[in-house]
Amino acid sequence: MLNINKTSEEKTVVLALEGRLDTTTAPELEAAIQEVLPGLTELILDFEALEYISSAGLRVLLSTEKALNGKGTMKICKANETILEIFEVTGFSEILTIE
Amino acid sequence: MNEVRNTDPVTVELSGRIDSGNASAVETEILSGLSGKTNLPLVLDAEKLEYISSAGLRVILRLKKNYPDLCVKNVSSDVYEILEMTGFTEMMRVEKAYRVVSVEGCEVIGEGFNGKVYRIDKDNVVKTYKNADALAEIQHEREVAKLALILGVPTAISYDVVRVGDSYGSVFELLNAKSFAKILAKEPERMDYCVREYVRMLKKIHSIEVPEGKLPSRKARLLKSVARIKDSLPDGLGEKLERMTEAIPESNHMIHGDFHTKNIVVADGEVLLIDMDTLSTGHPIFELVSMYNSYVGYSEYDPEIVIRFQGFNAETARKFWHESLAAYLGTKDEDRINEVEEKVRILSYTYLYDWGNRHPAAVGEHGEETMALWKGRLVELLKKVDSLVFEAPTDEKAPAEELDVEADESRLMAVTAFVNRQLEKTGCSPKTVSQIDIAVEEIFVNIASYAYAPGKGRAAITVEISGEPEEATIVFKDSGIPYDPLAKTDPDTTLSANEREIGGLGIFMTKKIMDSMSYEYKDGQNVLTLKKKLS
Repeated sequence: MLNINKTSEEKTVVLALEGRLDTTTAPELEAAIQEVLPGLTELILDFEALEYISSAGLRVLLSTEKALNGKGTMKICKANETILEIFEVTGFSEILTIE
Repeated sequence: MNEVRNTDPVTVELSGRIDSGNASAVETEILSGLSGKTNLPLVLDAEKLEYISSAGLRVILRLKKNYPDLCVKNVSSDVYEILEMTGFTEMMRVEKAYRVVSVEGCEVIGEGFNGKVYRIDKDNVVKTYKNADALAEIQHEREVAKLALILGVPTAISYDVVRVGDSYGSVFELLNAKSFAKILAKEPERMDYCVREYVRMLKKIHSIEVPEGKLPSRKARLLKSVARIKDSLPDGLGEKLERMTEAIPESNHMIHGDFHTKNIVVADGEVLLIDMDTLSTGHPIFELVSMYNSYVGYSEYDPEIVIRFQGFNAETARKFWHESLAAYLGTKDEDRINEVEEKVRILSYTYLYDWGNRHPAAVGEHGEETMALWKGRLVELLKKVDSLVFEAPTDEKAPAEELDVEADESRLMAVTAFVNRQLEKTGCSPKTVSQIDIAVEEIFVNIASYAYAPGKGRAAITVEISGEPEEATIVFKDSGIPYDPLAKTDPDTTLSANEREIGGLGIFMTKKIMDSMSYEYKDGQNVLTLKKKLS
């Protein structure tokens, strides 16, 4: 189960995620990002209520980072300890902006 | 309004609201409809009654004085609550309104002597009863199922009672349920899985001790059969049968009493035992008796009977019985298996011969020949067997629990739920659970995506907790194309976002998260073993 809560202010979009970002739910996040990507300059992913991420979720993050390609920024905030460790071992903490 | 129908019993239809504003008018109306007749078995039909206040309740109380057998039927849950709160349900018969369910055109998924089980939609089945006044039976089964659940038996409890035609039915939620009978009929290659899970369930219930007086003794029931047939056996064999049956030790351990493959279902990956109305206590021989009868006994003269009842043929039935008995006894020694089987068969034929005497019509078209066969075998065995007692298997370490699912991404939730159920029994932290979930997801999704592509297949997952400190060992098996995920090179985690490839992360993460990971290709299967310490 994944809930995505969208708020936006001018060209900044915040997607607050709640639940599990896994094989089943990753396509939902992908679709939500596809929808807001055109024209945004800053994408903030609020992970405060996200419990879990698997490689399917990481793939969405990586392809979003690639799609932005310097035209905008993506920032991930408030990730829990388990998720931060996943970012660490996969090297994602080096290539993504994580607060 | 409130109408008196001169049916038998006389029925008063209550409707709308009955409160202080109209209670006395309603009372007058009802009494004039009854025109002074008293002491009838009066029925108040509350189907259309929406609300009743204390003024209305007083009307019912006054009616009850003149009609002591008064009963209130078809009560909505709102009104029932009022009647329950005020103690009316204690004072008179009050029956709730039952949802009406039609089973016309529904798939029959089970059939027993007492009724049929229909699938009414994807997730629900209704069990119907032949007996028109089945409420007592339903109540009994519900109570027994609750007791079983509390004592640790994975079972389904009906959540609703409904009207089906002239009788009643109980509704169960069974997600994607499939019985072992159906699996054996349609996927004979899964015989080993069925035997293993069937015996695991059998040992589980036999290990449960039942508080005294909660369930009937199976031995007492068999002794009644013995008493009824003993005089028809020659040469003092009847007395020998009685002596040997009496010598079977009493036991407070649970037995199901009708433990055959239609009563074991896999629902959403979890193995459940259903049909609890025969739950009792006793020595395991009594369970084996009903099993032998299901697979062999009933159909010993006419093999067609087992196909009609279980859906698979007599050869499969015998094989399943033999392998289950061997696994239950934990032996491959044919002499030992045969020795126990002969003891079991004595009581099986005793039961069948007595049953056939009492229900000649049910025995089938070759009734006489069948009865002669049962009796003949009983006599033959009684001459050579001198005791019915055998050492029940002492339960060694329970084997690892296994989930057998279609290797498809849509089953991921069931897989995760299964693994988490096993982990819940340990004291491991939510973080460790999350990490193991990630590894399990990566491996399962990998199998689902590649093992059988472009076709479909199955995957089996076992979880075993062992050691000190506790360690989880999770094994994935599939029969897809041989593939060693460990042979894959790890992604370079030092590259920039643009240089990194989108895929290839799952296995790498699994390696990092788990303490160890090993692969082998064995007996035509990919076997991947993951281990992680839980603290």
